[in-house]
Amino acid sequence: MRYRHLIPLAACAAGAPAFAAQYLNAEQAQKLMFPEATAFRQQDLALSLAQMQQVEKLAGLAARSVNWRVVGAYSGDQLLGYMVLDDVIGKFELISYAVGLNPDATVRQIEILTYRESHGGEIRLPAWRHQFAGKSARTGGLTVGDGIANISGATLSCTHLTDGVRRIAAVAQVALKK
Amino acid sequence: MNKHLIATALAAAFLAAPLAATAGEAELMARIEKMAAELEQLKAELKASVKKTEAVEQRQQAIAAAAPAPAPVAAAPATEPAVAASAPSTIFGAYGEINYNRPTKNASGSQADVRRAVIGVEHRFDQKTKMVAEFEWEHAVVSADDKGESEVEQLYVEREFGNGLRSKVGLYLIPMGLLNTNHEPTAYYGVERNFVETAIIPSTWREVGVSLSGDTAGGLTWDTGVTTGFDLGKWDAAGGDGRESPLGSIHQEGQQAKSRDLSVHAALNWRGVPGLLVGGSVFTGKAGHKADGFTANDARITMVDLHTRYTPGRWDLSALYARGQISNTEALNETLVGNPTPVPKSFAGWYTQAAYRLMEVGDYTLSPFVRYEQFNTAKSYAAVPQGLGVAASPDEKVTTVGANLKVGEGVVLKADYQKFKEDKSRDRLNLGMGFSY
Amino acid sequence: MRTPYSRALLLPAALLLASLAACSGGGGSSSAAAPSPTPPVVEAGLSQAAKLGELIFKDQSLSASGKQSCATCHSPDNAHGPTNNLSAQLGGANGDVQGFRAAPSLRYLNQNPAFFFDKDGTPTGGIDRDGRAQSLAEQAERPFVAPHEMANASKQDVVDKLKKAPYVEQFRAQFGAAILDNAEQAFSRMTFALQAFQLEAPEFHPFDSKYDQFLAGKVKLSDQELRGLALFNDPTKGNCIGCHTSARGANGAPPLFTDFTFDNLGVPRNKKLAATADPAYFDLGLCGPDRTDLTARTDLCGAFKVPTLRNVATRQTFFHNGAFDNLKDVVAFYVRRDTNPEEWYPTGADGVVQKFNDLPPEYRKNVNTTEVPYNRQPGMAPALSPSEIDDVVSFLGTLTDGYKSKP
Repeated sequence: MRYRHLIPLAACAAGAPAFAAQYLNAEQAQKLMFPEATAFRQQDLALSLAQMQQVEKLAGLAARSVNWRVVGAYSGDQLLGYMVLDDVIGKFELISYAVGLNPDATVRQIEILTYRESHGGEIRLPAWRHQFAGKSARTGGLTVGDGIANISGATLSCTHLTDGVRRIAAVAQVALKK
Repeated sequence: MNKHLIATALAAAFLAAPLAATAGEAELMARIEKMAAELEQLKAELKASVKKTEAVEQRQQAIAAAAPAPAPVAAAPATEPAVAASAPSTIFGAYGEINYNRPTKNASGSQADVRRAVIGVEHRFDQKTKMVAEFEWEHAVVSADDKGESEVEQLYVEREFGNGLRSKVGLYLIPMGLLNTNHEPTAYYGVERNFVETAIIPSTWREVGVSLSGDTAGGLTWDTGVTTGFDLGKWDAAGGDGRESPLGSIHQEGQQAKSRDLSVHAALNWRGVPGLLVGGSVFTGKAGHKADGFTANDARITMVDLHTRYTPGRWDLSALYARGQISNTEALNETLVGNPTPVPKSFAGWYTQAAYRLMEVGDYTLSPFVRYEQFNTAKSYAAVPQGLGVAASPDEKVTTVGANLKVGEGVVLKADYQKFKEDKSRDRLNLGMGFSY
Repeated sequence: MRTPYSRALLLPAALLLASLAACSGGGGSSSAAAPSPTPPVVEAGLSQAAKLGELIFKDQSLSASGKQSCATCHSPDNAHGPTNNLSAQLGGANGDVQGFRAAPSLRYLNQNPAFFFDKDGTPTGGIDRDGRAQSLAEQAERPFVAPHEMANASKQDVVDKLKKAPYVEQFRAQFGAAILDNAEQAFSRMTFALQAFQLEAPEFHPFDSKYDQFLAGKVKLSDQELRGLALFNDPTKGNCIGCHTSARGANGAPPLFTDFTFDNLGVPRNKKLAATADPAYFDLGLCGPDRTDLTARTDLCGAFKVPTLRNVATRQTFFHNGAFDNLKDVVAFYVRRDTNPEEWYPTGADGVVQKFNDLPPEYRKNVNTTEVPYNRQPGMAPALSPSEIDDVVSFLGTLTDGYKSKP
């Protein structure tokens, strides 16, 4: 069997978190999102031009990249859902996060892997992250001020992260949904 | 090998059935041809399949190599992308405001000013350590004969420990109010910063010191520290600066700051419910620095503030109350009798503000707002013998109505009108442009 | 590296350092040396040059009459100012030649800057009532040779008298054995020593008045004194603080009660000065006749230096021409000059008050009439009432050095 699909996961993992700014690694995130999963498979995505245009239309944002890091979660042979890994810049610093999606492309859960800004750490709060659950690119409600509440003092971080989730929800709608 | 097989089969066929040879020969040939063709097809498919697997493998490797280096360049002016590994990075940011004020009752007082031009630098040494600096130029031209000022607004090093604990050492902004730590022109409504957070809580208030901050699972952030404080020896009773902003006229800003008396600050902010912020802070310290022959060595300056901000849907609602107190001013004010600006005992203010995101067309966002504030920079004085003191001033009440037009994420155009209750000559129309990145 | 070359430099270098150290201000930490009428007790802690300066300051033999020293007109017993009410002191070989201006106090001049025009063009600094001397050493030169003061014939004359002084060996030891051979150099060392004395000796800047102790929170002013201070500071009443600073500096420096600028008050002509018998004689301060470098600046004619108000209550003669002999009249003049000019100036035969009669007519417009309290007209109430004038005078009494609070 090939183990090459584990290379991207290993690259993201970079070992167990050694300092507060990195809260979770990808492995921990996927287990949090899909506790009942028995296997995780690398299922990286490469969007076609047509798909990218569809994503832009759905999300109202540039599709930004062709390639997306996707992990499929399985219980036996049954697909439980997907986890998409992504990074955005908050105000000055990188935010690494993961979006857990159900097979129907609704958001299941989001997890923050790395957050380094001095302000806005509240995006890690369960209450704030819970705002995304159950929404999809179809239902909408994935915009700051229109379904997602802002965090005072961290507007840029909130906005960029929410935009990222909305984009991933559109990608899921276009390319992952069964 | 296949041909060999066929040949063997044929031989077997021939050996096995010599009588039927002539009649089935043609049929057999046809069959052989068909099998050969199918074999060729299988070969081709196998080749293609191998190629495809190779391609997928290559792509996987490419992704694995690309994963640690993130793509987004659109949002950040990063000079180098921040890599998950240990490579340090330096990021430049900036903000600026250009304001125009036109007093409605005195057109000759109209003024356009490059209020501030600020350059910020953040350098990340490693995963845990970063440096933040901010440099500012006010009023465009700085020289002995000009009105501008150039200053270092922030200069500190921040280190992260475990469990969300962070520490700052250097010149940093005091965590008080809503505006002090979040004062870019794109962060507030109205051309000018509100009076409560410029006159009562001094604007861009920074001190030199050490701070420790952290957060809890419930959404509570705490921030506390020891810093330099104010210098009451700088109080100018003959001038008007103390009346405009009591603390603004005596802050030291890390400028050879007298540090015999240090101050402490503590702030608590709760953001447990998404979209809601409730918080408060306190700052206290003496301000005499045991100066030789100074009567106010016992005076203590204390500031408290309470604030909240709530952003349900398209609304942006906020409210803030701040109060400052200076104790033991009697002896000092007695030596300043007759002057128009003695040291106040208390000064305070509050405001409420409501903004609504009215229209979003493309990347233009229009948000009208209204703000009502009440403040008093000389709310009370300590008693002076023989009634020789100055009377406390009345609260000034200001209503501001206007709108912010955000262009994209980092540019904002503003317009507003301000009406003053007490000093009506200050009524004015304001226009402004601000940017931040 | 004890070469003769470096040795020779050491001495002047040390002197320079000593004078620079003294220049850094009087400060509040002074030993309150009580003024003593006994023969000069040289203070411990002064540099050698300053000690010599003190001896020279008090040496009456250095005058033509043999009876006049610096201390005669600048008495250490009276805030280094005059002890009588003469408008101008008498000097000369027989002690009968009248001077031209009232002798000022020599206290609190160590922070007096050299003359300059500030960035707004305001003339500031300089020693003497017209700011003509750039330093205390320069100021000390003229009294030795002025005919109406110590009346020596020349610098040589002064040095010859010095050669007979009891401390001449000390002088030679300090400034060089051959110093007295050159009159010019010896004289300059004399004035240098006088400067060192005035800069270093705490008696010239003790900062121990009742007001200083009040600023430090150690004593309370009386009710009347406090009222007087309030009127002094109030920009709508006395507004004395406009020129006579009363507040501590931002760096904690005690107030000197002068901002070292110049003002033109239009003080009345003083008949007691013999020179005024000539109707063409006018003492115009900054633009002459004593000072000669600003004669072209006619806008400054009539302006004289704002003196310190410290120890003003020890004086019996006020303003550059000694026009007044009591403090109450002085304060009253400030507030009633414009509302009641007839109280201060003579009335001509035509019944018109000759306001600002100590200035030629073309310079009378230079007089300050815009600042409070001069900005009033006849018929208006003066800025201070009579009882308020008394309050201010009472406050001014707190500025006298050497206050000892009663236990």
